[in-house]
Amino acid sequence: MSLDHNEQTRSQRRPDWAALAIAAVLAIMAAIIFFDVARLRDMGGYSQVGPATVPDWIAIVLICLAIWTVVASFKGDFPQRERQEIKPVAWVVAGLLAQMVLIRLVGFSIATGVLFGLAAAGFGARRIWISIPVGIVLCFAIYWLFAVVLQLSLPAGPLENLIH
Amino acid sequence: MKHFFLASILAGAIALPAAAADYTIMAPAAPGGGWDQTARTMQTAMQQEKISDKVQVMNVPGAGGTIGIAQFASQQKGNPNALMVGGYVMVGAILTNKSPVTLKDVTPIARLTGEYEVIVVPAASEVKTMADLVEKLKADPGAVSWGGGSAGGTDHITAGLVAKAAGVDPTKVNYIAFSGGGEALAAILGGQVTAGISSYGEFEGQVKAGALRVLAISSDEKIEGIDAPTLKESGLDVVIQNWRMVAAAPGLSDEQKAAVTADIEKLAKSKTWQDNLKTKGWIDTYLAGPEFEEQLAKDITATEAILKDIGLVK
Amino acid sequence: MSTFDFLMQGLVSAMEPINLLYALIGVTLGTMVGVLPGIGPATTVALLLPVTYQLDPTGSLIMFAGIYYGGMYGGSTTSILLNTPGESASIITALEGNKMARAGRGGPALATSAIGSFVAGLIATLALAFVAPYIVKLALVFGPREYFALMVLAFVTVSSAFGNSALRGLTSLFIGLALSLVGIDQLTGQNRLSFGVPDLLDGIEVTTMAVAMFAIGETLFIAAQGAQAPDKVEAIRGSVWMTAKDWARSWKPWLRGTVIGFPIGAMPAGGAEIGTFLSYAAEKRLSNHPEEFGNGAIEGVAGPEAANNASAAGTLVPLLTLGLPTSATAAIMLAGFQQYGLQPGPLLFATNPQLVWGLIASLLIANLMLLVLNLPLVGLWVRLLTIPKPWLYSGILVFATLGTIGANPSVFELGMLLVFGLVAYVMRVFDYPIAPVIVGLILGPLAEQQLRRALSISQGDVTTLVQSPIAAVLLGLAAIALILPLVLRLRGRGNVLTQMAASED
Repeated sequence: MSLDHNEQTRSQRRPDWAALAIAAVLAIMAAIIFFDVARLRDMGGYSQVGPATVPDWIAIVLICLAIWTVVASFKGDFPQRERQEIKPVAWVVAGLLAQMVLIRLVGFSIATGVLFGLAAAGFGARRIWISIPVGIVLCFAIYWLFAVVLQLSLPAGPLENLIH
Repeated sequence: MKHFFLASILAGAIALPAAAADYTIMAPAAPGGGWDQTARTMQTAMQQEKISDKVQVMNVPGAGGTIGIAQFASQQKGNPNALMVGGYVMVGAILTNKSPVTLKDVTPIARLTGEYEVIVVPAASEVKTMADLVEKLKADPGAVSWGGGSAGGTDHITAGLVAKAAGVDPTKVNYIAFSGGGEALAAILGGQVTAGISSYGEFEGQVKAGALRVLAISSDEKIEGIDAPTLKESGLDVVIQNWRMVAAAPGLSDEQKAAVTADIEKLAKSKTWQDNLKTKGWIDTYLAGPEFEEQLAKDITATEAILKDIGLVK
Repeated sequence: MSTFDFLMQGLVSAMEPINLLYALIGVTLGTMVGVLPGIGPATTVALLLPVTYQLDPTGSLIMFAGIYYGGMYGGSTTSILLNTPGESASIITALEGNKMARAGRGGPALATSAIGSFVAGLIATLALAFVAPYIVKLALVFGPREYFALMVLAFVTVSSAFGNSALRGLTSLFIGLALSLVGIDQLTGQNRLSFGVPDLLDGIEVTTMAVAMFAIGETLFIAAQGAQAPDKVEAIRGSVWMTAKDWARSWKPWLRGTVIGFPIGAMPAGGAEIGTFLSYAAEKRLSNHPEEFGNGAIEGVAGPEAANNASAAGTLVPLLTLGLPTSATAAIMLAGFQQYGLQPGPLLFATNPQLVWGLIASLLIANLMLLVLNLPLVGLWVRLLTIPKPWLYSGILVFATLGTIGANPSVFELGMLLVFGLVAYVMRVFDYPIAPVIVGLILGPLAEQQLRRALSISQGDVTTLVQSPIAAVLLGLAAIALILPLVLRLRGRGNVLTQMAASED
């Protein structure tokens, strides 16, 4: 896969900004690890490898990987991306967010039904006034099966309380 | 038989709604663990004994029960039908995790069951008695490795208390935390560690088979059927019990609290509950009212002190 | 009575029609709950155990065995069809299995997984019956240093089997390792990287991470392709059943998977995932079609699936012979056994032979029922993929979140699903492999804890790590696995490796 990308990218010699951003994220992760475990450095007990040692090793390797990523980005070793459409991704993310916010308020069926409708919209089924109710009915059936018959604990809301 | 079974599935499915005293019991752990089993056993017993028509169990796992207790204290305030299972492990977890919500923020009702800690060595070990182990510990605390459950848990606390009672610095205890009872037991049987420490139930089978030797038990008095002296008899002033309890929501009126306490007492005395204790090998250490509250306060103070001594709580 | 007689007696009673029915009901219920991502066999058994209390001991034991096997198998189906691993032991299955399903070969993937599970379950259960006492002796020899050496070997073999870029593979692995640090440190009880958030104290749940990385990340990635992506997957290309070639390519991985999985499952700190990792790495090494790995190689489904089933039977070795519950599933099974008056422990085989052999016979029957139930359904399952995209992917999301909510009804957990789903999406866009993140998350803590335990016991003496012969051999193997490819590459040998090397830089 990366073979054909390389043919195109080998010639370009300017840095890939996305790769630099990834390198920065790796370096930040390393810094967070390093600072967070600093308070644990003297807790090894009888083993000289304490609670801070392995995190320190991992942080050091992350720094090395960040440097390597920077080098790769200058050499043009980073794969090219296919074009990404953001709008459908936003629909799906909105669905997941909606479920998160709603689940405590209105219970499993409605919250997950909304997720179902919004995600379907992301994949082209835009008539959410149909897909959300369909989703709610579907999720209510799932709730009945798993929570009532199979005793899984799922958050209940007004709809679920009808069958309790 | 077949019809009976299908009927029971259907009965579960239709689950007739009922009016009076429907309890919801929170198990602040994942399905399968000790607290979850306690909650589900309570559920069975309360329904069968008609103490409550309908009991639901809810699992809120995480961080030694501290996530569960935080949620319980905030969401169930003033709800007389909400119960939560908890235990001694929670006392330690609240301290080590610096949990803002403590057992003071709920209404402890009663202690239900308990287990005592035992110290064991493999049958082939040169350590024959508790005195031998103490001697070894005094000579070189690092050379005695203790295998047990998670750091800061009952097993670790017991090891710390034993060292302290023997006059050894508890921070010098070479405690090796294993992730589950099974893993610790394997390490003990395999001779990877000097001694093992856990509740008796974990070791019972091995002890009966002669693979492990019990050096001492953490109870107040000798336990029937366990051929070992208490720690006290071995000259170490340590008594510790890994108990499980039930608590109600905060903000209950005195009548509400009395009603819940009465229900729990009925449960603890019931035949179904007692039968279940027997099959599960749990020891009945039922204690309620002011005596329980006093004992709880004592346990919390002692735990805080030893966790500081071990160096887990600053 | 001899061992064989007990087993036959157990089989005869398990074969009664009513007991077969119980096995079927158990397998069905187990599969239903087990398919939920995040709800593994342990939780499935815990939730459904009360159902079995109503029956007589034989009936409840057999239904229990059915639930157990059903719960395990359920995870593989969703791994293959929906790229949503139901539990940590079926994560590896998703790698090749889902690629096969997308190429219209979901039928053979499901079939090799079902038959492989059956074969492995059969052999491993028989092994449990006849060699358990010997295996358990081996398991007890394994202490912290031996486990550490085993983890090192797993790391080395597995990381060489991922992806086509060393940089991106390593980066993924270390992201996983960094995330594995989150939570309370097992050995000192101190929290790391949890920043005072109580929900992080128990660390990042492997199944939550797997669901986020595979199911959510994949869904976002497909969504981002918009109208470019084909609207439907062709569910069946060629035969829905395994062809002669599929059989020829599957039987050896089944056997190898069994041989790898069973002893690792029997080790108290082994864990079913490790067996699947090692099996996958082994199949990739030994395959005549290494180029197919990553694009749907049937060996990559057959081996790990056999390994995870064999290791499940392996878990029963320490449980029945020593009373050691070595996994969450085993712990809950222990609770189940107590209900039937079975007190697992060293004396069990002597004091309660009927029940033990009854259990082993039940496992064999449940295993068979699983095959009977699942093979005819393969054709139906793969048609799931023909559901139009909007409904298929919304369904996957409902399903993925359902499992997470069922395991832990917390908003925070859902938030993690979303965040790591987005991370996985970005990683996919930049062609970072996903599986090493999960491998790091699983292996990291195990390796670290065992290393620290070993050094604590030796009071800081590092040479302890190579003083045991087993540990020394395992570390030696790891060193060979690390150095040999480099040497071969330098000498320009081994077509595959040079090819891999060429694509790396």
